[in-house]
Amino acid sequence: MSFMKKPLAVAGIVFALGFGAASLHAQHTLAAKFDPAKSLTLTGTVTQIDWANPYTHILMKVAGQPLPTLWAVEVEGPLELTANGWSQSSLPIGETIRVEGPVARNGSKQIWGKSVVMTSTNKPVYIGTNGTPKPRATATGPTPRWPSGQPRLGPPQGQTGYWGYPTRGGLVEDGVNVAMDRYGLLNNIADAAKVAPMQPWALSLYRERQRAFLQYDPMLLGCKPPGGPRQFQQPYGFQFVEQPDFKRVFVLMGSGNRNRRIIYTDGRKQQGQLGGNDDNPLFYGQAVGRWDGDTFVVDTRSFNDEFWFDNGGLPHTDLLHLVERFTRTDMGTMRYEVTVDDPGAYTRPWKSTWNLNWVPGEETPYFLCMDNRP
Amino acid sequence: MKTRSTNRAVATTAFVAFALVFAATGAFAQDDDGGVPAGRGAAAGQGRGGAGQGRGGGGRGGQGRGAAAPAAPTPRWPDGKPILGSVPGQPVGGWGAGVTTLPQGQLDKIPFQPWARAVYDIRQIDQFEPHTRCKASGVSRQFSTPYGTEFVEAPDLQRMYIMDNGGPNSYRIIYLDGRSFPENIPPTNYGYSIGHWEKDTLVVETRGLNEKFWLDTRGTPHTAQLKFTERFTRSDMNTLHYQATIDDPGAYTAPWTTTDFTLRWRPGEELFEYICQQANQGPTLMIGSQEEVDNTRFFVP
Repeated sequence: MSFMKKPLAVAGIVFALGFGAASLHAQHTLAAKFDPAKSLTLTGTVTQIDWANPYTHILMKVAGQPLPTLWAVEVEGPLELTANGWSQSSLPIGETIRVEGPVARNGSKQIWGKSVVMTSTNKPVYIGTNGTPKPRATATGPTPRWPSGQPRLGPPQGQTGYWGYPTRGGLVEDGVNVAMDRYGLLNNIADAAKVAPMQPWALSLYRERQRAFLQYDPMLLGCKPPGGPRQFQQPYGFQFVEQPDFKRVFVLMGSGNRNRRIIYTDGRKQQGQLGGNDDNPLFYGQAVGRWDGDTFVVDTRSFNDEFWFDNGGLPHTDLLHLVERFTRTDMGTMRYEVTVDDPGAYTRPWKSTWNLNWVPGEETPYFLCMDNRP
Repeated sequence: MKTRSTNRAVATTAFVAFALVFAATGAFAQDDDGGVPAGRGAAAGQGRGGAGQGRGGGGRGGQGRGAAAPAAPTPRWPDGKPILGSVPGQPVGGWGAGVTTLPQGQLDKIPFQPWARAVYDIRQIDQFEPHTRCKASGVSRQFSTPYGTEFVEAPDLQRMYIMDNGGPNSYRIIYLDGRSFPENIPPTNYGYSIGHWEKDTLVVETRGLNEKFWLDTRGTPHTAQLKFTERFTRSDMNTLHYQATIDDPGAYTAPWTTTDFTLRWRPGEELFEYICQQANQGPTLMIGSQEEVDNTRFFVP
């Protein structure tokens, strides 16, 4: 961060190693697209590298009769690969590679690169780390505050940083203990009914989505925005930009096409983002915020039902009403507590809580979901 | 489902109304080599997402509602620098669209390399604009969507955000902290922008742009070698002058500078939610004009 003018005013910046290879994953659970039960080993020549979000694709030609076949090898996206020391030039065009991994469920010529090895050197490429992985910065110290004494949701004056590394990847009611991966995919589908107090139809739909390994996720398929609590479950995080002069707070996301959400703190009624009403419900809803002591309380309504508000596919309806409570307990930690009140899908209001971690000195990662769409 | 179909009906009505206003004012057809013909181009290609807001804001673009009233002087921060966005104590507002096409008025003088001129010419026929497929479109293209832009200044963070209504609901960052460009900037749709003040003009230099978007609605070509310089001058409360210099040895034989474009202030116009991909159900169908579909690019969802 040689271009930072001011040193970080935070005591005790520590660098936690070991988050590298597996910590930042892109957009979908592996099983959404690939079938772990069907693996192949292929050897082919690299014809093109599509270095784009959310996933990098190596295009390779595999010899065959009467014609060769073109395969797409999916590996992690540029952000993860870069963080692990890889670059687009790590794998030259024309190189021969041997790929092993599960193939696409839909029968298309796509394979997940569980192992990708350059046959000329017998060395792995784009898998694991190359050289020294980028360490993950963390921050400690007291909660930063505005001159008024109100906590700052974003960086201290003149600094840079963002919130990322959510401690929970899928919504689940507080106090419920079920195992799921960081994309909200349950380890055991028999746990589905425990996750939240769903109405029967919602439970059926949730099970259906889980059984399909979350592959029909509108965010995955069509880059639809991750509204609601899901925006705080994304691996590429978000930044808060507070504009006290105009009584509003922006949530600027790293994922979901780097969307923005606006929270108004000017005391307006539930008006939120302009244009939202019964006839035009929104992905991010109409959000109004106020301070309750050191906690920023955001009340949001007027959601549409065209997106998943949870990585794991918990259903919601356009009756969804959220109360989100943000408490910056220290420089490095934001506690996020959401109350889900949706009489269309749940039998009672319920709550879920997790933490977000401050990444000092870095800009929110640049991630446009649309990048590798045509 | 009832809500959704109502939404579509409202959107369709709004869009038709919008197109009419658009055509009537001719706000985007100021020049024979510029502008978006009514009923197609960015707004048309994006369907109901924005039109569903029912605002018809596009018709006001470039004209301004308060044109008759004398404009207040350039608003300034306590340190004397011009405020480019909203003024504290006043309602927030935004800028209407003002950039039509970068070569406006001087098309024959632009130092195109032959291939770039050929690309420009073919794009006048087949408008495969990435923007209509919900791609974020940086620099000058931000000032072409009829829904306008908002400048979100964060002086205490020494940066500014430019948010265009009419793209994929995203944001562009301009650093104002005096930093220099990092090495090896990964190419992106918005690029890496650094601004500095020259008297009352904010000069923004952008590098690290990729080739996945167009600089304007008419497809003025560029390559990843592009160094793009923008000059923003707020001459009074309601007027923002915009000029760009294109320095791209990949596509041009010399740097060149656009004409002076004017953006008009729209007081009270807040950002609204516009999700381009809301109605973009079939991205592969969104490529190209009615006559042709470009399937040259490998598509791996």
